[in-house]
Amino acid sequence: MADTLHHRCLKVLVIEDDTEMANFIEKVLEDAGHDVECAHDGTAGLARARASEFDALVVDRMLPEKDGLTLIREFRDAGGTTPALFLSALGDVQNKVQGLKAGAEDYLGKPFVPAELAARVEALGRRQAGEPQVTTLKAGDLEMNLLTRKVTRGGKRIDLQPREFRLLEYLMRHAGQVVTRTMLLEKVWDYNFDPQTNVIDVHVSRLRAKIDKDFPEPLLQTVRGAGYRLQG
Amino acid sequence: MKLPLQWPAWLRSERISRLSAKLAGRLPPMPNLDRLPIPEGVRKAMPIFVRTTTFKLALLYSTMIAVFSGALLAYLYYSTVYYIRVESERRITVEFEQLANAYYTGGMQRLSQAVFERMTLSGSPFYYYLEDTAGQKIAGHFPRLPDDPPESGMKTVYFDFELPQTDGSKVLRPAAGRIVRLRDNGGALMVAFDTAQQTVIVDRIQSAILVAAPVALILSLFGGVLITRGAARRAEELAKTAEAVIGGELSRRVPMRGTGDEFDRLAQRINAMLDQIGKLVEASQNTGNAIAHDLRSPLTRLRNRLEIALSAPMSERDANATLGETVEEVDRVLDTFNAILRLARLDAGTEGLRVRMDLSEVAEELAELFDPACEEAGLAFRSQIARNQLVLGDRELIGQAISNLIDNAIKYTPEGGSIAVSVTRGPEAMVDLTVTDTGPGIPEFERPKVVERFHRLDSARTQPGSGLGLSLVQSVADLHGGELILADGSGPKDLPGLKATLRLPRA
Repeated sequence: MADTLHHRCLKVLVIEDDTEMANFIEKVLEDAGHDVECAHDGTAGLARARASEFDALVVDRMLPEKDGLTLIREFRDAGGTTPALFLSALGDVQNKVQGLKAGAEDYLGKPFVPAELAARVEALGRRQAGEPQVTTLKAGDLEMNLLTRKVTRGGKRIDLQPREFRLLEYLMRHAGQVVTRTMLLEKVWDYNFDPQTNVIDVHVSRLRAKIDKDFPEPLLQTVRGAGYRLQG
Repeated sequence: MKLPLQWPAWLRSERISRLSAKLAGRLPPMPNLDRLPIPEGVRKAMPIFVRTTTFKLALLYSTMIAVFSGALLAYLYYSTVYYIRVESERRITVEFEQLANAYYTGGMQRLSQAVFERMTLSGSPFYYYLEDTAGQKIAGHFPRLPDDPPESGMKTVYFDFELPQTDGSKVLRPAAGRIVRLRDNGGALMVAFDTAQQTVIVDRIQSAILVAAPVALILSLFGGVLITRGAARRAEELAKTAEAVIGGELSRRVPMRGTGDEFDRLAQRINAMLDQIGKLVEASQNTGNAIAHDLRSPLTRLRNRLEIALSAPMSERDANATLGETVEEVDRVLDTFNAILRLARLDAGTEGLRVRMDLSEVAEELAELFDPACEEAGLAFRSQIARNQLVLGDRELIGQAISNLIDNAIKYTPEGGSIAVSVTRGPEAMVDLTVTDTGPGIPEFERPKVVERFHRLDSARTQPGSGLGLSLVQSVADLHGGELILADGSGPKDLPGLKATLRLPRA
């Protein structure tokens, strides 16, 4: 598994009826440094989710007893705020929209790349309710003022194109976490397909040139086989 | 000869009883032909439709027609015959009134005179007879009364009489008459008329109906059979087509008659359903082929690599490197797999939204996305995008299609070349999105093949990629009711470049 050092160890509940898949997901997430519990059907899953405070839920859509969509809906109706990610063999856009509408924050189709799963779960873990509205993002000596749209590093002003700004904003919001190319295409460009060539890479390297080149410490790192990470 | 005033015997038959039974809800059940002791040979010889609902329908139809025809004919008969009778009665009544008038105003004298006058009138249909109290004939066509006059009121009599002809011979004619006893006198008056004419008419009507009724019956049976046979045949066609399709002939369709009736519409819908089934089957077959074709090689490569790693002792670093490469290869396989699934879903037509979206906006976003990658590849990038070109479609799918086109352009254009993306109004309510490059282009004979799954131009076999790019663009075009047009760019003969146009219907 690619190195996925990060700050936070998340408590993750995985609700998946296929035991082999569940074990695999558990391993992926534990390797990434998180604590994982498993449930194997909808009813048990819902009960566990409500019983303990988890940082993130990974829910399979097709579950016995109670399917994933219903589980999330009921969880939200009961006031559960734990962010959730759907895993489903039904990966097309319509099903994705359905899943997000039911109350999940993210949706990943099977088969998935393990690094993608780990990255998205970590991104979820950040999304806890009650995060105060920030006006400034910080990562190391990099600062981004969301109101004035000014970016500085070590006090020095950095000029960014609008897209570069959005890209950096996303990286900073997920500082310390691995962010995959698919996630970037999704969140920064709002497209859901798999990017080919190195289309994202070039944008990232341009950004890197602006924020890292003239500075002693490189903040924006490439994580092999996974994506990128901005040091937090 | 009596004027018939009741239903003739042949009408008072089982038809009426069946009608009344029907009304009473006690129609005897349709004979179950399967239970009849029909020998196997005969049953097999019976046309299939006899055993079906259509036959029962035909029978019901025929019965209804027969019943209605019967009722119509009966009404016709009754009203014409009735009319004839009523009309005759009316005329006799008028005649009697006139004669009664004469009697009351002038007594016997006057009456006799009136009778004489009428007898001399030519063309009168009536015959008269008048006698006095003693029974002595005063005037009349007849020698005597055919019957005794009534004590009171009128009496109707039917008799035959000899009508003298102009040539001296005599002809026997039927007549009907009314005899009345004169008041205060005791004499009697009779007015009669020749019923031969009437009888002829009534007979004519009767025989016409006698002929018409069975003809109507036969025709109604015929009609019922004909009509339902048409329906039975269409139903049979549907059944046969369905059987053929089930048996594997997926290209069979229900024949259409072009009549535009419900059967044609049903056939149309069933054919559309069969088209869809064909598409789904093709999609799943393609998927099978795709999996066989494009996943087998990388998986085989993986296996070999892992086998080698197992057999030969390696340093930990080498082992890690091998495992890392393996993971990457597996990721590529997963990507290809996803792409295959995507295409299968597109082919089945189950994916894709249809909303009004701005194609120009999508083109701009993707142009902006790809611009740096172009630059990195040493290519010049230009875009000329007309604003607000709206289409009806799925932003994600169209985005992916455009992305594939630009990606291909970058892949196949050598350094120093250029790529242009444009959005323009196309012909006839279409919008054109064109990606032009200065690469080698695609020779005309290759163009149809290149949009097939997994085809890659020979020159490009060494390049990475699953070869699904253009076929996805084709699928997206098809799904939106548009087309993918491949043409030469504006380069020289040996390096014409490719001009790929995604043409979509305007919203």
